[in-house]
Amino acid sequence: MTAVLPPSLGAVYDRGYRPYEGPRGSRREAGLALWRLTLRRALGLRRSWRQKVFPWSLLAIATVPAIVNVGVGYVAKDSPVDFRDFSFITYREYVGVSTALLLFVALTAPDVVCPDRSQRVLPLLFSRPLTGVDYVVAKVGAIATVVFGFAFLPQVVLFVGQMLVSDRALDYFTDNAEVLWQVPAAVAVLAMYYAAIGVALASLTDRRIVGGVAILGLALVTSAIAAILIEAAGEEGTPLAVVNVLALPLDVRDLIFLGHLSDDSGLSGVGGGGVLAVTAYLMVLVGALALLFHRYREVDL
Amino acid sequence: MQAIVPAPPVLRAAGLTMSYPGGTTALAGLTVDVPPGSVGLVGANGAGKTTLFRLMLGLMQPSGGWLEVTGRPVASDPVGIRSRLGYMPEHDCLPLDQTAADVVATFGELAGLPTRAARQRSSDVLDLVGLDEARFRPIGGFSTGMRQRTKLAQALVADPRLVLLDEPTAGLDPVGREEMLELVGRLAGFGISVILATHLLDDVQRVCEHVVMIDRGRLVLAGPIDQLMQTTGLMRVEVGGRDGAAAALVEGLASRSITAALVDEHNVDVDTSDQGDVAFDLVRDAVADLGLRLYALSTRHRSLDDLFLREVQV
Repeated sequence: MTAVLPPSLGAVYDRGYRPYEGPRGSRREAGLALWRLTLRRALGLRRSWRQKVFPWSLLAIATVPAIVNVGVGYVAKDSPVDFRDFSFITYREYVGVSTALLLFVALTAPDVVCPDRSQRVLPLLFSRPLTGVDYVVAKVGAIATVVFGFAFLPQVVLFVGQMLVSDRALDYFTDNAEVLWQVPAAVAVLAMYYAAIGVALASLTDRRIVGGVAILGLALVTSAIAAILIEAAGEEGTPLAVVNVLALPLDVRDLIFLGHLSDDSGLSGVGGGGVLAVTAYLMVLVGALALLFHRYREVDL
Repeated sequence: MQAIVPAPPVLRAAGLTMSYPGGTTALAGLTVDVPPGSVGLVGANGAGKTTLFRLMLGLMQPSGGWLEVTGRPVASDPVGIRSRLGYMPEHDCLPLDQTAADVVATFGELAGLPTRAARQRSSDVLDLVGLDEARFRPIGGFSTGMRQRTKLAQALVADPRLVLLDEPTAGLDPVGREEMLELVGRLAGFGISVILATHLLDDVQRVCEHVVMIDRGRLVLAGPIDQLMQTTGLMRVEVGGRDGAAAALVEGLASRSITAALVDEHNVDVDTSDQGDVAFDLVRDAVADLGLRLYALSTRHRSLDDLFLREVQV
């Protein structure tokens, strides 16, 4: 370092260039960094307050049913009426607060992939020790992580709150112990599915708005088509109900919680409906991931 | 006394071929060794410069041949090799809604640096490229020159051994171009080798020690610029005094068994590869015998442009 002024007058240093000799990660660290950076972007961290409003409001909204449920349980605890069986929302139903999560994915998934293509950031990303597979895993993983968090945290609030307001906390815990695996499993099924579909559809366009509309449009259109097909089939049900892509993760959720499809499912009257639902779920998930791997297999400089 | 081991080439290609589906051959058996330091990769559009960069970054497999970057075969670890390479594309490639500090730190992390180190390095390299004051502003509000500097900063943030610069002065005004070239010229002094791909030969002549010229996927010429400019085996002679002076000189030299080529009305290129320094005397005598005026006589090419054009025409 060279002092260009005498120290007594204060010194200005030309620091020049300093080589880096610290630790240096490889592909795994690069993939983790991309996941972390995508997560940060999805949550609006290090971005303007406007970018923070939506994700954190969504988390707040998603937690409201849990707070209401716990609040009612607390207020009614000493009531002469027996509220022990009161349940504003069940753990299974809570996994199905999917419309808000779908809206979140429709806004966030395009935001984390479209600018990379439209602003031609991809060549820079792939000049780092990253592959197309790493990119897809990081992007889908980050969205899935946020969706998982936003669907799981309210369930934690619900479980802990219910346990605390119950007369016997330990009894509540043991009576509901099965949800300790059912909830994370069902939420993971939902989060992976929404993230893969959302990122896959968003990867097909450079424009965020188009990506968002495509995600919501797919959900709405397939729901409407399935409703028409189910109506036409009558009480026997129809296997064609699998076209409802929005319902498939909820069917898998029912299999996790109940061991069978619920009566609300479009496939409930169909023989082998559960197997059909799981198969369709996996096909959509694998198809979305295959599309993504194909989209990012190669990038032009 | 320990023997001095020469530094290995930063790029070593042997018979490197790249053919795209559809029959386009971007590289046709390129064989070249590129030493450490500042190297200009010169060629017209479509010469194969970007394809060579893509192969060096391990983004695609060559159709044939061998390629080593910084002493490591690209085929053995095409992904890992990128951790010690920096790349600055020609086109816009920065996220416009993020600050320069965030973007450069991001690319540091993506090169494998820990988060804290990446942020520190981001601050340092942005300072180095002259963006210390602007580093917390969104890139969307940057001028072209500032964006080019940010692109250079992201290429340097992980302290690469080799940085690939694709037309770094493209779109810059004269002042911005000077500043960018000055920065590029300093990199070799930091121990960072540079391959500067450009079609602006002036830029190469300004900041590079070596040049690699390619045309239609083939090597045209490679070597130290000073050496190439001095040992071309050609003498440029400028004569006058009457109409057709240059043509008369070509004939006069031919009668003395000296090969010469007419460049224009006043200039002649004389092949001196056989005569060496004696050629000066022979040319002087020929000019005097023909009664011509000798205006200039030089064994050096005036620029890399001359060299490139001559080699491509050959």
